[in-house]
Amino acid sequence: MMGRIIRWWPLPALIALLIFPWVYREPYYHVLGFNVLLLATMAVSWNIIGGYTGYTSLGHATFFGMGAYLVAIAANELGWNPLWSAPLMALVVTLVAFGLGWIMLRTSGAAFVIASIAMLLIFRLLALNLRSITNGAPGLSQPLPPWSPEFSRMPFFYYMLVWLIIALAVSAYIRRSRFGLGLLAIRDDEGKAEMVGVNTTLYKVLAFGASAYFVAVGGGIWSYHTTHISPIFAFDLIVGVEMILVTMLGGIGTLWGPVLGAFIYVPATDLILFQFGSTTIHLAILGGLMVLILLFLPSGILPTLSNWLEERRAPRAAHEKARSMAEMYDEEPAPNSESKVADETSSAIVTKQETL
Amino acid sequence: MTALLRTENLVRRFGGITAVNNCSITVQEGSITGLIGPNGSGKTTLFNLITSIYKPDSGDVYMRQKKITGVPSNQLCHRGLSRTFQITRLFWDLSVLENMIVPVRQVGIRSLFGPGMHRHEEERALVLLKRVGLEHLKDEPARKLSFGQQKLLEFAAVLMADPELVLLDEPAGGVNPTMIRFIMELIRSLHKEGVTFLVVEHNMSVVMELCDYILVLDQGEKIAEGPPHIVQSDPVVLDAYLGD
Repeated sequence: MMGRIIRWWPLPALIALLIFPWVYREPYYHVLGFNVLLLATMAVSWNIIGGYTGYTSLGHATFFGMGAYLVAIAANELGWNPLWSAPLMALVVTLVAFGLGWIMLRTSGAAFVIASIAMLLIFRLLALNLRSITNGAPGLSQPLPPWSPEFSRMPFFYYMLVWLIIALAVSAYIRRSRFGLGLLAIRDDEGKAEMVGVNTTLYKVLAFGASAYFVAVGGGIWSYHTTHISPIFAFDLIVGVEMILVTMLGGIGTLWGPVLGAFIYVPATDLILFQFGSTTIHLAILGGLMVLILLFLPSGILPTLSNWLEERRAPRAAHEKARSMAEMYDEEPAPNSESKVADETSSAIVTKQETL
Repeated sequence: MTALLRTENLVRRFGGITAVNNCSITVQEGSITGLIGPNGSGKTTLFNLITSIYKPDSGDVYMRQKKITGVPSNQLCHRGLSRTFQITRLFWDLSVLENMIVPVRQVGIRSLFGPGMHRHEEERALVLLKRVGLEHLKDEPARKLSFGQQKLLEFAAVLMADPELVLLDEPAGGVNPTMIRFIMELIRSLHKEGVTFLVVEHNMSVVMELCDYILVLDQGEKIAEGPPHIVQSDPVVLDAYLGD
């Protein structure tokens, strides 16, 4: 009963999010909510390559910027509405990400991290210098949304919520698929995964492309939301770092961790920003907080929480296991080598759980 | 008897060292072939060449007369060739059961996006886990297993791919005598079911008891081969192990 209630928690959370803009009617809250959902969506997306696959890309802002620019250009040149061109342009970005991933995923570990930063810097340089397309450093403006000013931010909030749900659904689906199992295997031991038949190159490139998609969608919607974009904000290393920070805060490699992290991180940033004004001191404070979190919650909030719950339940589980062992022993009284192995196993488990 | 696996004049150099030198070996179908030699004689390098972890500088590998040199590692297990590692390698954060499922063959891109685990796959995995005595640990993460259990799990997972030939790198290394017995029995019973083995092992009593044919490497070259009792008394072999 309790378990069933816990399993349905996303429903009240969703209802709360749906009524939130009507309870807090000032545009400030709508923008804050939008920023939370935007970062949550992108972190969920990043988690596919960074969490499931274990490849820490610091350069995912590349796809954010590409999405933003493609949407802005399409709006200006072709008159395409960003709301539907964002998911479309994100597909283009994903194709580019397949190509980039195919090159970059030849590296791993620290080399991959550096390559991913290099990727971001290259695209930022391109955005700054391909003036005929991007207008260089001044950036691009695009038409304002046609909604009445009173509600100008609310549609963005709901639209981003839809994309967060889609991103979560895709992430959950990947996690449960054979593809996702392969990704987790790659994270744990890539060479071994290759040896047991996982086409690691294909898996990694697919994961990289998939993780670029929702980041690019987010970039496209953000570009419409801010109405003016420029290379230093669209291709900003900090955007990529934030995706990682919130994922690590909530729990890297978990489905909900990135969302939880974003819901804590963005309001906290805003609060600190209010306290100290628009100086860079909020970055220093956040940096300090992240160091603390990495020191005391290295695996993130959700895994720490579930470990803690498991430990609390452990004594009972150990007892049950010991009993089932005893039953097994009764069934096979002849102590052949096989039951000896099982016996050794059971005692190992029991001792392990007693020490916990 | 036909040759299941054959290497032809394999050479692999690391800098100035020739780890495997002109090595031609044959593993007969239905055999348990032992591969022995002093430390650094190139046994593991030879395994790595056969399984495409290293590219040979020259020479070729054949499986059932088909050239498999340079075939990517991830394709080899679909051709019936699987291996274990000298230092056990598992997916440490995945459960025991998931460790069993990863090696199951996937056909086509559609199955990639199917469910992580099919019912029949799970059932098969449980049968194999039961065989190695790990069934009750199926939901535990692999890192919680004891050393011996990890070895058994790696072995059992390899079997999920339906291999014709299994390369075992020190199956008895670092495990207690009871477990060695158990692993030997396992190899024997799988052998009876038609699996061929190529085994690297330092424990000579295990090799002599288990294998029906033995290859001896020294300094990257094959210096002797034959049935256990012949190899055992071969002066060249004794010299390689005891000489200098």
